[in-house]
Amino acid sequence: MKKIAIYGKGGIGKSTIVSNLSAALTERGLRVMQIGCDPKADSTLSLRHGEPLPTILETVRQKKDAFSLEEITCSGYGGVICAEAGGPIPGLGCAGRGIITALEKLAVKGAYETFQPDVVFYDVLGDVVCGGFSMPMRSGYAEKVLIVTSGENMSIYAAANIAMAIDNFKGRGYAGLGGLILNRRNVKDEEAKVQTLCGDIHTSIVGRIDRSDLVTEAETMKKTVMEAFPDSELAETFRRLAETIIF
Amino acid sequence: MRQVAGLISTYSSDEFGICSALYELGGMVVMHDASGCNSTYTTHDEPRWYDMDSMIYISAISEMEAIMGDDEKLIRDLTETALEMKPKFVAVVGAPIPYMIGTDLPAIAAITEQETGIPCMGFAANGMNYYTKGVSMALEAIVRRFCTGPAVRTENLSVNILGATPLDFSLNGSVDSIKDWIRENGMDLGACLSMGSTLEDIAGAGRAHVNLVVSYGGLAAARYLKKQYGIPYVVGVPFGEKFPAMLAKMLKEAASSGKDLVSYRPVGKNQAPPGTDSQNSEDHLAGDRINGRHTGKDADKTRISIIGESIFSASLAAAIELDCGIPTRVLCPLDTEDILLRECDLRTPEEDDLMKYLPETKIIVGDPMYRVLCGKDQRFCPLPHEAFSGRIYDPVNPNLINRKLAK
Repeated sequence: MKKIAIYGKGGIGKSTIVSNLSAALTERGLRVMQIGCDPKADSTLSLRHGEPLPTILETVRQKKDAFSLEEITCSGYGGVICAEAGGPIPGLGCAGRGIITALEKLAVKGAYETFQPDVVFYDVLGDVVCGGFSMPMRSGYAEKVLIVTSGENMSIYAAANIAMAIDNFKGRGYAGLGGLILNRRNVKDEEAKVQTLCGDIHTSIVGRIDRSDLVTEAETMKKTVMEAFPDSELAETFRRLAETIIF
Repeated sequence: MRQVAGLISTYSSDEFGICSALYELGGMVVMHDASGCNSTYTTHDEPRWYDMDSMIYISAISEMEAIMGDDEKLIRDLTETALEMKPKFVAVVGAPIPYMIGTDLPAIAAITEQETGIPCMGFAANGMNYYTKGVSMALEAIVRRFCTGPAVRTENLSVNILGATPLDFSLNGSVDSIKDWIRENGMDLGACLSMGSTLEDIAGAGRAHVNLVVSYGGLAAARYLKKQYGIPYVVGVPFGEKFPAMLAKMLKEAASSGKDLVSYRPVGKNQAPPGTDSQNSEDHLAGDRINGRHTGKDADKTRISIIGESIFSASLAAAIELDCGIPTRVLCPLDTEDILLRECDLRTPEEDDLMKYLPETKIIVGDPMYRVLCGKDQRFCPLPHEAFSGRIYDPVNPNLINRKLAK
């Protein structure tokens, strides 16, 4: 079982990329589980065609421990097992603590033993803003962190912060940095800027995704690019990236 | 009202359970909590505090350390103190603040261990679980970490006791009486987790033939020892006059068969996990004697209700039924599993649950602080429980092990 956490600035395209990677891996016959670690609970939306899925935290709040795995997971496109941590009401509670509780509940309920996924993706909200958002990279969870970034300055700052957090956790047995995914926004000197970041944080670019209108079109159809446009060049890009990071 | 204790006390939390389970083992236990009013961990609920040394500290986490996630200070303090005090191990225990900010205590323990070379363990306690969970966490961690001796059995049949803490058994001689009872039945005593044994004793716990689980807190450790060393376990406490003989027989049977048994459940339903083929043994008859009064038309005539920890209370209920012939059931407000209760017993996590079921009974056995729930036409038999009322009633807490129960 390979467990990978995806971090990156909010809005950089993490969920889109992860969902397409999940779909691409199922084409290879792998069993994939994708866990959204964001109060918005929209990581797996395109995999489940916009169908509702109760979040783990809302289920825990309502039912305490009296619920089954089936109530907090669903089978999405390609058989991807979808789960969403969810979170508190915006402006209240503690989202970071929520991520910890949600991931612990999944483990206690035996999600990994029951589904026996070959690959688990943790799609994590933005930056490592507090202890809770480091949970997916802690011992027992992801072994590798991939950071999604573009050449935009704010995205690069966020990626640098995440890399710093990973470095700070050396000695704790946490996940290591597995590389950057460059989600191109076609800004000036984009490749060079991200290569400079790679030098600063001692990593490399593991994949490059070109900007494409197909992403928006697929989103409108409530599907992944892999499902909506399986023969597109972009779908091929996701297949290659999936192969790079898993095999 | 749910989750409200309007009339009764509340049980000790998981932090207390960890402190209690580790108290005698020579470790340094550090509560990662704000300073102030923390003497409760070590004085109010700890009868050994004034007579027996133990290294229990508070990290005194400050508001800014919590806000800024300053784990480094804790690691530094743990390292310096451990190097100075040279404990046999370090246990860093969580509390509500580190729980809420997501402090990774196992990771902090791992770093401290790298720095000091002293075994360190992190416990994700949060002050919101019962002491039973804390005892369970601590004892499982201790056997996982330190029970590393060979799986070679001793010559004579030997028994480990798992789950003994003053929170359930006080210091009234009960645990010593369990040890004496084991010896009187021709068995040797292995380790006792966690009263009266050293870390070295625990290291050799894998040599025992059978484990006696005397509280829920000992079950996880028993399951680990079963998995790691193949040691079967028997659940029960030798209360009363007749029940201890049954329990001793089951210990020998389990040691021979390798099957795990819950002593106070009727045969056919006493294996953990359930399922047995021994339908013709004398135990079957004994089991029927224990539970017979709760079947059929008499099911609603329970005369005694015991409020308390599941294994302690269900064993006592079995003893009362055998010795006195009075139908007795357990109302368990604490962590437990269905296999640790009999069919007539109930889980009562809330005060409201107790108030619903207690009117059905004639005699209530429980900590004196439950007396307020006793009706005018009911009789209340006080049985102090350290985890519920602390040391207040220590002088009148009776030892009921292996002796005739008072009517």
